[in-house]
Amino acid sequence: MTEILVSALLLIGAALMLLAAIGIIRLPDLPTRMHATTKSGALGTALIMIAVAFYFAEVAVVTRALAVIAFIIVTAPVAAHVIGRASYFVGVPLWEGTIKDDLKTSYDPETHYLRSGFEEDVPKKPAASKKTTAAKAKPKR
Amino acid sequence: MIGFFWNILLALAWVALTGNFGGLNFTFGFALGYAVLAIAQTQLPAIRGYAQRIPRVLRFMGFFILELVKANLKVAFDILTPPWHMQPGVIAYPLSAKTEFEITMVANFISLTPGTLSLDVSNDNRVLFIHAMFLQDEKKLLAELNEVERRLLEVLR
Amino acid sequence: MSAYVINLVYLMLSVALLLGFIRLAKGPSLPDRVVALELVASIVAGMVGVHAIYTGVSSFLDVAIVLALTAFLAAIGFARFLERGGPRDD
Repeated sequence: MTEILVSALLLIGAALMLLAAIGIIRLPDLPTRMHATTKSGALGTALIMIAVAFYFAEVAVVTRALAVIAFIIVTAPVAAHVIGRASYFVGVPLWEGTIKDDLKTSYDPETHYLRSGFEEDVPKKPAASKKTTAAKAKPKR
Repeated sequence: MIGFFWNILLALAWVALTGNFGGLNFTFGFALGYAVLAIAQTQLPAIRGYAQRIPRVLRFMGFFILELVKANLKVAFDILTPPWHMQPGVIAYPLSAKTEFEITMVANFISLTPGTLSLDVSNDNRVLFIHAMFLQDEKKLLAELNEVERRLLEVLR
Repeated sequence: MSAYVINLVYLMLSVALLLGFIRLAKGPSLPDRVVALELVASIVAGMVGVHAIYTGVSSFLDVAIVLALTAFLAAIGFARFLERGGPRDD
């Protein structure tokens, strides 16, 4: 029974990783490649670790396998976000099939200030003070 | 969070008192501790609302795993078939999360769902910029993201 | 554990590793290579898990923990480096 379960988990995990690898080769630009790798890769590793936990079924092994899963699930989106942001601001080109880019219009490459488009809603905020916040925001990055 | 800590402590006390250090016995002790805390929470302000939180967390996890599988299949199908069905793009998603911690969690869970990837937060913390892979119907996508965020904030608040 | 399943899983992971290396070598820009490196790290972590099942030695899991952590740190470091460098076209 456990053998079937472990085999199924291993095969699904490996298939997800293979899918991520095919995705990173086939997809046309960086953000779409990251869609394939971060989620499928993390999920594949997590499934293989669950298989390991079921196979050994000891407290020490299960704890370590759960620790690996927790690390991967916590760190994968953070790493994806950090690399995606850095690559976008560094100027890696997007695929020509990209149909919309809201970030381009609201990002100021000089000051690194990122507008939300909702500034008008905030009452009592003259244009001059907006500039000072923009200048303050610069050293943060 | 403090309630969860107390629950673990009660479970450990149960394990130590019965002298059986097994996973099953720990689970039983955890269930007993949960029952005790559910009764005691009306008297203790520090752990109020703890008993309602665990089922909510479980429901959110179930919902999220379902979303994860669905979105993964969608992305997998597009990777494996030759013509591109995707229409990628960067959209602005207005956040209803307020504190930094909530925004971090929302951004992480949106990143974990295949097909959406959070790129950056605007400087006034009101809009999250998301790279989406399937932008055929932007309204529907925003509604789905809103659903994830609403359920997540229900758990966090 | 059935040897067929283990061999098949090893084969799939090896092909995935190979494809990751192709992107690592080819990648038009530096972030592409970083993403490929991260994928390679997570595939190797998965391989370590499979190897732990194959040999029956559970201590291999510690390698997977360290690998997952260092890959994350490397990604953060690379991103910092990229953002400090400013716009570029390679």
